[in-house]
Amino acid sequence: MPPPHEPAAPQPRPVTDGPDAAVGTLGPPAYALPPPPPPQPPRPPRPPLVRSRRRGWTPGVCGAVARHLGVSRRSVRWAFVLLTVAGGAGLAAYVFLWALTPEGDIDGAGAGPAPDDTPPERRQWVLVLALGAILVVLGAILLSPVLGGSIIGTVLVPLFTIAVGAIVAWSNLDDAQRSRWLGSGAGRYGWMRVALGAGLTVAGILVIVTRGESFSAVWDALLAAVAVLVGALIIAAPWALRLWGDLRREQVAAARATERADIAAHLHDSVLQTLALIQRQSHDAAAVTRLARAQERELRSWLYSGPQGSQSTLAAAVTEVAHDVEDLQGVAIDLVVTGDRPYEPHGAALAQAMREALLNAVRHGGTPVTAYVEIGPGGVEAFVRDRGDGFDLDAVPADRLGVRQSILGRMERHGGTARVRRREDGTEVELRLPPVEGGPP
Amino acid sequence: MTQQSHASKGPASGPVRVVLVDDHRMFRTGVRAELTDAMAAGGVPVCEFVGEAPDVDTAIAVIRAETPDVVLLDVHLPGGSGNGGSDVIRGCFGVETASGAPVRFLALSVSDAAEDVIAVIRAGARGYVTKTIGARDLITAIRRVADGDAVFSPRLAGFVLDAFGAAAGEIAEVDEELDRLSAREREVMRLIARGYQYKEVAKELFISVKTVETHVSSVLRKLQLSSRHELTAWAMGRRLL
Repeated sequence: MPPPHEPAAPQPRPVTDGPDAAVGTLGPPAYALPPPPPPQPPRPPRPPLVRSRRRGWTPGVCGAVARHLGVSRRSVRWAFVLLTVAGGAGLAAYVFLWALTPEGDIDGAGAGPAPDDTPPERRQWVLVLALGAILVVLGAILLSPVLGGSIIGTVLVPLFTIAVGAIVAWSNLDDAQRSRWLGSGAGRYGWMRVALGAGLTVAGILVIVTRGESFSAVWDALLAAVAVLVGALIIAAPWALRLWGDLRREQVAAARATERADIAAHLHDSVLQTLALIQRQSHDAAAVTRLARAQERELRSWLYSGPQGSQSTLAAAVTEVAHDVEDLQGVAIDLVVTGDRPYEPHGAALAQAMREALLNAVRHGGTPVTAYVEIGPGGVEAFVRDRGDGFDLDAVPADRLGVRQSILGRMERHGGTARVRRREDGTEVELRLPPVEGGPP
Repeated sequence: MTQQSHASKGPASGPVRVVLVDDHRMFRTGVRAELTDAMAAGGVPVCEFVGEAPDVDTAIAVIRAETPDVVLLDVHLPGGSGNGGSDVIRGCFGVETASGAPVRFLALSVSDAAEDVIAVIRAGARGYVTKTIGARDLITAIRRVADGDAVFSPRLAGFVLDAFGAAAGEIAEVDEELDRLSAREREVMRLIARGYQYKEVAKELFISVKTVETHVSSVLRKLQLSSRHELTAWAMGRRLL
């Protein structure tokens, strides 16, 4: 056969034993697929539209667009300026991109600019202050009644002022600056920007609202309210949008971290502890089996959310009973439960009787001990079976007969029946309960 | 161990040729050692290990090369399209042994999760046993699967009773009905869930072992063909053990 089959002797795989040993490794070389031919270097994919996290005095929109489209940053800037002059579309696009483009680390990207073209902190700070001062002066001039006559002076210019103020305020939403802004110590710069932006916006709104000397009261008040609302919306909308996005990302990350921590904590409390115990008691085979079994069960119920310890249902109750017996005697019990019903006194009696039967089976019978509980509309049936070598009824110890009586008596007191069947290889105890009266079918 | 060059005369006569697929090397080694010991004690070489594989792709390659009678298949495996054992079964669709019988799969898993069990059974496995099974029982199960019969662990029988509503008293009017068990199938499943061996089931119901095997195979068929949505919805809804 063309590929020689895997030898049966120990594998020539130089990996350690353990659950993870073979994960991710291919089989022996005979079966490993030949490596695919090296593909032709494809056209480098278009870099994502991401703004640089490095500090600049602009939000980095032009740089992001330039990187994404593969054109020079200068031409993008000129395009924005031209579009802004010709009708303002460029400004709108810029603001939009700023609000919606995420920030990312793009250091090392080949197309990125040299690192030294970022203005140093101080120079940048001065630039922003100068820009702000110019704008404040502009706003003050606009507030004076001399220029208040024309429409442009009273409406368009203040609107522009509002827009610029909003942009300055929004710039604090950048991730890099937000931490700085939220941090207690180095918040001076950020607060100044917020104050500047807010001042500009309020100034613009004031100019619009007080443009006429005569306060034809209701109409103007309404207008002012609307103007303030619009201003607030302009400021708040992208901010809220960005914050919401950040929040979502952080929530997901936090949830993941919490889950991981939970798993780690659980594994530490359970599995690692048990493994340590097993190592210490490695001479005692029975103890090791018991520990391993208990741990397996616990881990299983944790992983698959099986019936928990709470005895709210009959299935959970009988499962717990079986686990108790396992822990007590260190013998594995194969338990299968189908259906369920609420836990009530009759069910409790059945669970207790089953406990006795299981203890019996584990103590006097042979393994494997199996138990099957069927909870259906026609009542509850439970079967406990062991595989002893067959036994002589006369040789049964007296306490076992007593236990048997207690099983029978208990079931009968609760309207059920119990039967002990002797089989060729072992014993089977059958417990039956009628359906719950008045309960759901 | 080398591959036997002479053509296998079929599982009924020679030893059953077995491939072991599991991503834990320790487990593979353990199963081999245990089965070899058990067979040495029994005196008859029932199984012959012809290969093993730690992941889906290797497994498919080994099975196609060896065409074993039975593949002991872990449910969770790395590689493939992420569906573990089910991927192996689908990847080996149509592969036949030298004697012309299809390669048969016996799922062997630590997981009792209903989704896992039902997924691998529906992909085409002939049986499902948990890794805690004893060596002698495992040999019996391998033999049975090699003969084309189905192997149900007590827990799988419990699943089936729940999934088909049989525990709640739903019984098929005709045997051919795919979504419910017949009264006899339900009885057989109940006894298996109680831990009975096939021969004990046969004795209890006064039928032959062959008839028990027929019933179990019929249940397996229903499990594989019945309305998929219902079964998976059941498995998800109960988040069973």
